Amino acid sequence: MRNDAAYALAEPPVQNANDNAAVEIDAATPFADAERLAAGADEIAIRFEKFTDGRGFSLASMLRDRGFTGKLTARGDVLPDQAGLLRRAGFDKIASDIKPQSPRWRRRHFSHAYQPAAAGDEPAYLARARAARAALVEKLNHEYADASPEAIITAATRAFGGRIAMLSSFGTEAAAGLAVLARIAPEMPVLFLDTGMHFAQTLTYRDELVARLGLTNVIPLAPDKDELAAEDPEARLFEADTAACCDVRKVRPLARAMASFDALITGRKRYHGGEREDLPPFEFDGDVVKVNPFAALSAKEVAAIYRTLKLPAHPMAAMGYPSIGCWPCTAPAEGDGTREGRWAGQDRTECGIFDPRLKERAARTRSYRLI
Amino acid sequence: MYRYDDIDATLVRERTAQFREQVGARLSGELTEDQFKPLRLQNGVYLQLHAYMLRVAIPYGVLSAAQLRKLAHVARTYDKGYGHFTTRQNIQYNWPSLVDVPDILDELAEVDMHAIQTSGNCIRNTTTDPFAGAAADEVVDPRPWCELIRQWSTFHPEFSFLPRKFKIAVTGSPADRAAIGVHDIGLQLVRNGEGEVGFAVFAGGGQGRTPMVAPEISSFVAQRDLLAYLTAILRVYNLAGRRDNLYKARIKILVNDLGADEFTGQVEGEFARLKGGALTLPQEEIDRVKAFFTDPPADDRPAVLHPSAAFSRWRLWNVKPHKVPGRAIVVISLKPYGGTAGDASAEQMDVVADLAEQFSLGEVRVTKEQNLVLPHVAEADLAELYAALEAAGLATANAGLASDIVCCPGLDYCNLANARSIPISQAISRAIEESGLEEAAGELTIKISGCINACGHHHVANIGLLGVDKKGEEFYQLTLGGIADGEAAIGKIVGKGLDPDHAVRAVITVIRAYLDARTEDESFVQTLSRIGFEPFKEAIYA
Repeated sequence: MRNDAAYALAEPPVQNANDNAAVEIDAATPFADAERLAAGADEIAIRFEKFTDGRGFSLASMLRDRGFTGKLTARGDVLPDQAGLLRRAGFDKIASDIKPQSPRWRRRHFSHAYQPAAAGDEPAYLARARAARAALVEKLNHEYADASPEAIITAATRAFGGRIAMLSSFGTEAAAGLAVLARIAPEMPVLFLDTGMHFAQTLTYRDELVARLGLTNVIPLAPDKDELAAEDPEARLFEADTAACCDVRKVRPLARAMASFDALITGRKRYHGGEREDLPPFEFDGDVVKVNPFAALSAKEVAAIYRTLKLPAHPMAAMGYPSIGCWPCTAPAEGDGTREGRWAGQDRTECGIFDPRLKERAARTRSYRLI
Repeated sequence: MYRYDDIDATLVRERTAQFREQVGARLSGELTEDQFKPLRLQNGVYLQLHAYMLRVAIPYGVLSAAQLRKLAHVARTYDKGYGHFTTRQNIQYNWPSLVDVPDILDELAEVDMHAIQTSGNCIRNTTTDPFAGAAADEVVDPRPWCELIRQWSTFHPEFSFLPRKFKIAVTGSPADRAAIGVHDIGLQLVRNGEGEVGFAVFAGGGQGRTPMVAPEISSFVAQRDLLAYLTAILRVYNLAGRRDNLYKARIKILVNDLGADEFTGQVEGEFARLKGGALTLPQEEIDRVKAFFTDPPADDRPAVLHPSAAFSRWRLWNVKPHKVPGRAIVVISLKPYGGTAGDASAEQMDVVADLAEQFSLGEVRVTKEQNLVLPHVAEADLAELYAALEAAGLATANAGLASDIVCCPGLDYCNLANARSIPISQAISRAIEESGLEEAAGELTIKISGCINACGHHHVANIGLLGVDKKGEEFYQLTLGGIADGEAAIGKIVGKGLDPDHAVRAVITVIRAYLDARTEDESFVQTLSRIGFEPFKEAIYA
């Protein structure tokens, strides 16, 4: 994937720009001051007194790192030879003292990068790892297309040892998957999205299952306190916008936790319908590998596991809830395995934790990494 | 050995093309010499006393036979038929012409080599234990980490115009052999209580006019977090390192001025922001790079004995224990008595390349002591290898001994030098040979710098010599007690400078005094710390 114009400047350099709209700082500005000035500014200009003084590169990179989205201008003594680096460090405009008409300003810079940078370049190590991970998933899907849940979990543990966790809702079907996991790898981390909106029955059921199955590493993931205080201080966000509520209580907490994991075992099954109908055993969304060992099971087979292992049912299953999430967005529904009772009356059946687009947005808030 | 993929190869080619254009812009006058200088330095081109000098990177000192042959070809075609291996595991050519440099770089790119960041105020070649991947005492192979650091530090968008040059050394052995205590950043691979591999991080060491041993700033950084931690250190340094005074611009001055605790606090603050972000190394990439560095197979042929005393002496000093049964590490000394430390002719490089293919799985190393190493020789082949080295004049049996002198180019080449280094080094080497003392003395380091910039590492020598200029005459200041590897120590000045003849005699005097005073198995520094400076000082100035 060569991008020949990767670091060409968006605009040609301008000479002796005197744009008063910009807040100008010099290279010696302490970063804390730069950050303070940048808050609320549309444009920051960093002055280079000498092209060899590289402080401006760090000031720009760090401002971008901390979320400055305004325009960044490099002013003063900068060379055409530095244009590529300036662009990568987050500058989008150059106001150079020297020869803006030189064709050397238009020179194509390097077509790859070894580092992540403010300009958003993908470092070589991520590109390579992404390709390696995609190839591994393809191979595993080929080898484990018709394999048992046990075989798939064993293969996933071998491929991602120490970097894999299971995600469980402790809902109506969770016990089957957790029981299989407990027999193969009881020490594997089990992530539970502790949204603060669960039915009391779910929490009781969770504790009962953990004790009974001997799971040793259940990790509850709570929403970030500051984010809740800012976005849902009254805990009523679900009334106005259920997607926003899922985002702050599920999508972002999971995204943060996934900084420590490369693969996630889910309990999703094809019979859930919707976008789950074609679920393969291994999925790669360009970041995390999702392992779906139970995808091919039928509702009958899941019920058989409950019977054989004498697993307790979620207390609300018998009350007509085939799928259980947070209380504001869960309703009874007709039919085993259906998700019709989730966000009933709305045009959605997923909270968004499996949606790569939402994950990418979470990544932009720099709360977690891609890959 | 690491092999380039398309990304690596493309970047080197693009840099070579860019440099060709920069040379063109300089020759046409579009770039002034002031503008061109930092640009050429970042690609290893110096202007010395007599000519341009080109320093070619040998990443972490690892070479293939094919690469060494290419270095020989460059020496023959573009230089005066020889090259000079440096104390940072690189090679430099002292006589290329500027217009040829882009062609040399094209030739080097053919074998995955370059001169990127071998000079200038940027992150330089990462150095390591020359016995990495072979040493019997190794805990973890540092080479994959050197390669990962090499890539991260190459064309860095933030750290290409630092206050001053920046050097990182990595070791995977408790014996060090990479002098991590006197580097801007020293990394030691360690295992924590859970058996997880990570890095102990040292920062702010250095030599030059203000030698300092680096304090430890973190006892454990996880492997996946290494780049985030390094970035945090470099950010603190890039913003706060002094730019008003060339001599106070290295990170050691910043660490010393802030104090290790305050410096560490600032680094940890930035690291907390970066940790878990895009700088996290994916396990796939760690595994990919590690896969290039595998152990050689064991060799079960019986060792062949060689009756000569000369072979026995060489076997004793130049052959080191290997981690794989039936193999050994061979040091090829580039320190013939009276020779120029680190110089190798094109013919010698070709011979070593051939021998590497025949005896060492095609691999060669360059040491910071300016020698070459064949890292994977079968014990059974040692006698045959010795005979071949002897025929090529490369069998000097003095690795690690007093005549294995480290020496900068000095006033013969360098426009920073105050005094010549090479002639005094040659004279000391001859005097040591004539004294017949060096085998009795055993491992003992002598290092010589022609000025206070300390490229010859005299601060960390058991016996160090610093060239000074007194009204147009060369004098040499002696330091004693320095240690480069492991528990690094800076040597102390013995007394007033000595003229060249006296300096040569003084070195022999010091060795003799050590032999007279030492108890069994005591190293030079142990004897020195037991009996103190006075006996040595009296003997020298008597």
